This record gives sequence, structure tokens and C-alpha cells, in this order.
Amino acid sequence: MKVPDATLGRVFWRCLFLQAAWNRRGMQNLGFAYAIDPALRRLYPDPERRREALLRHLATFNCHPYTAAAIVGGAIHHEERVAAGEEAAAVPLEFKQVLQGPMAAVGDGFFWAGLRPFFGALAAVGILAVGWPALVVVVLAYNALQLGLRWKLFRAGYRSGDEVVATVAALSLPAWAARLRAAGTVTAGVAVGLLALGARPALGGATGAVSLAAALAAWGALALGARLLPTAYLALALGTGAGALLRLRGGP
Amino acid sequence: MDYLVLAVIAGLAAVERKGFLQAMLARPVTLAPIAGLALGDLPGGLLLGPPLELLWLGAVSLGAALPPNEALGAVAIAGGAVLAGRALGTGVTPEVAAICIATVGVFTVLGRRTDGWVEDWNVRFSSRAEALAAAGAPRQAVRENLLGMGLPFAISFVLAPVGAALCAAVAPALLRHRPGSAVPLAVGFAALCGLAAAAGARSFRSRRGLALFLLGAIPTVLVGRWLGVGGAG
Repeated sequence: MKVPDATLGRVFWRCLFLQAAWNRRGMQNLGFAYAIDPALRRLYPDPERRREALLRHLATFNCHPYTAAAIVGGAIHHEERVAAGEEAAAVPLEFKQVLQGPMAAVGDGFFWAGLRPFFGALAAVGILAVGWPALVVVVLAYNALQLGLRWKLFRAGYRSGDEVVATVAALSLPAWAARLRAAGTVTAGVAVGLLALGARPALGGATGAVSLAAALAAWGALALGARLLPTAYLALALGTGAGALLRLRGGP
Repeated sequence: MDYLVLAVIAGLAAVERKGFLQAMLARPVTLAPIAGLALGDLPGGLLLGPPLELLWLGAVSLGAALPPNEALGAVAIAGGAVLAGRALGTGVTPEVAAICIATVGVFTVLGRRTDGWVEDWNVRFSSRAEALAAAGAPRQAVRENLLGMGLPFAISFVLAPVGAALCAAVAPALLRHRPGSAVPLAVGFAALCGLAAAAGARSFRSRRGLALFLLGAIPTVLVGRWLGVGGAG
């Protein structure tokens, strides 16, 4: 028996709630069971078999919330075979256990360390250079990309099961992540330039110069292992002190 | 009413940030303008969005690690700054922004602590779901998942308006009592913006990071100066 497209659509929608009840014991277990339940309902009309299937998907699971879509799709692929008697009931769980770590690493590296921070920096630059319309465009573009990729991974997992690894490999996500990290670093540099140019000239040109000097000093401090929030408070205090000194020496 | 609006925005952001969707709507760059717009001061939100985003660009949940709760901080700071700016009749200025960040920046750390409590609290939903599934109630079992969004919503619903109220009390009082502090605080905000950009750039952990950062910064300043923009020195 095949799971109908409408049910697959419902499962994908529920994948968006994967982390709703993230917990220290089972992590995303409850979210995974919630997502796959409409498919299990279709595949197992017998309540006892459905109960067994649901219990196996309540086992501990943790992955990146975007790339997990591929595993949800792949688990349905295997459950169809279990329901048809072509595979043992343990196979879907083995599939999840084998893939969750690598898919989490790919997702963390590409989405969390590359794509989203790049779009965050781009949105910041967009606001500074253009204004709120740029923010809307950047957020829409990000979501078109991430939702499109999630759907593609989900479909690939459902269609090909274990072969989803080849689909993910073909996307070359680690190489794209490296490019996005480089581009994001440049974008953050553009942002500090725009922030310096846009700084209210409270002390003539000195305010913008303070931004640039603080950026370089902060780079050094953070490289030496300083923690972010205390360093931010220190920058605020030192900047305010510098402002007071400059003002005493003839500023406005 | 303003505090209720902020509470709802913060609660929804807490859910979107981890439990549902994760579409960048709970990032500071989006959330600060949303809070500003909701309180009638979009420019104020736009002033705060970029530096807050850059400051917490590296705040991502990798594996089971918990980052600072940048969404809670962004709503409290932006909302508080708008309310403080309104009380002063100036709107959100750099000095108001500086005071608000100093006052409730630590809420991001408090938020990380409460995120840990939420993860402990949610174990009960997992246990209950297992019991319900074993008892033959699968539909009720999986619905336990949605209950996990309740506590994060409630915590941010309460904490964000408290943070905003602190800002709205501290910033006007300080700037009225010590009007001479406005210019130094504006310079302090400029320094914080510089740090935020550096922190954001470093969060990419790119090879040749400083060179790439300068590759973005120097031409921007030179072109900006050539075009006669702003006051970078």
C-alpha cells in the first residue's frame, strides 16, 4: 500500500512541529511520532500494528529540524514495506538511527552555520542600505530556499529510502556552506561599514571611527576567548567613556 | 495594551524559534522591527534590528547545546526602547538603545536558563505519550507534542514585557536626570555596533576571517565617504 499524496502533505506540515516538545530524554521523539502518525494511520488499519509502529517511532531521535524531513520521508518509505510484509519491523528504526547523526551534521553545518547566518547578515545590510523592503525580500528568499530544500529532502527520502544519502551528497551542502560562511563574513564587514557611516555624528566623524575601532578591538578580544555578553557590556562602557572624554575635550 | 502586544509577540516568537517552523521570524533582525511596528515605531525597530542580529548571529542551537535566547532579548530591548523613546518624545535614539541593551541584555542568558527548564518539563509529555500509545490511544499520544509549545510561550509572554518595562523606566529616568550622558551613550552604542558586527563575522568561523571582514568593511567606508554619506572618521 502507498501513502496518498495528501497524507504525505500532512506529514510534511507536521514536520514543521518536529521540535515542539524537544525534551532531554527522547529529544525529538515526540515530534517525529507526531509527524509520521498520519502515514501510520493509513498504513496500519489494525490498531495493534499501528500501536507497535507508533511506539517504535517514540524512540529517542535527534537531528537537524530541516534535514530531518529526509528521515521522516525515508521512514515512511520503510514503513510501507513493513506494512506489506517485505521488511522486518526493526528496519525503519535502524534507518533513523543510522542517518540521524550524519544528517544532523550536514544540517547544522549548512543551515545553522551557513545559510541562516548569511541571510541574517544580509538582512542587516539590507535594512541599513535600503530599509524594511529589503528585510521582507531577504526573509522571503530564505524561506523559499529552506522550505524548498526541506520538501525536496522529504520527497527524496520517501521515494528512495536509504538512497536519500546520494541525493543529499549531490547537493554538495558542505561546499556551499563554506562559500556562504566566506560571503557572510564579507557581508558582516559591509554591515560594520554601513553602521559606521550611519552612526549619528554625535562627535563629528569620531562616532563612526569608534565603531570601526571597536570592531577591530572586539575581533581581537573574541579571538582570545572573551565571552560575548561581557565583552558587549565592556564595549558599551568603554565607548561611553570615550564619548565622555571626547566631549570634555571640545565635542558638542 | 502595549505590554500585552509585546507579550504576545514574544510568546509567538518563542514558539517559532524552536518549536514550529523556524523561518527567521524569531531572529532579532525580524523581531525588532516587528515589535517596533506593533508599537507604532518601525524606524525604532529598524535601528535595533541589525546590530542585535549581528551580535547574536552565532546564537544557534547545535545538537543539544542551548544558545542565549536572542528572541526574548530582542523583544524586550526593542519594545522597551520604543516605549522609552515615546516617554522621552524623541523616539528610539542611539542613547536610548544603548541604555535598553545594557538594562536587559542579560535577559538572553535568563532565557537560556528557562530554555533548559522547558526541555526538562517536556519530558513529561514524552512519558505521557508513551503511556497513551501503549494504552492504545495513538491520536491523543501524538497530540502531546503540541503541548510542548505552551511553556516557552508562557515564559516569554511574561518575561519580555517585564524587560520592556524595565527599559521604559530606566532610560527616561537616566536621560532626564543626566541629559549630558546622551552623547557619550550614543558613542557607546556606536562601539557596541562595531562589536556586534565583529562578533557576527566571527560566528561564521571562516578561514581568513579578518581579511574577509576588512574586505567588506574598508570598501564600504571608502565608497560611502566618497559619496558623502555619514560621519565615519
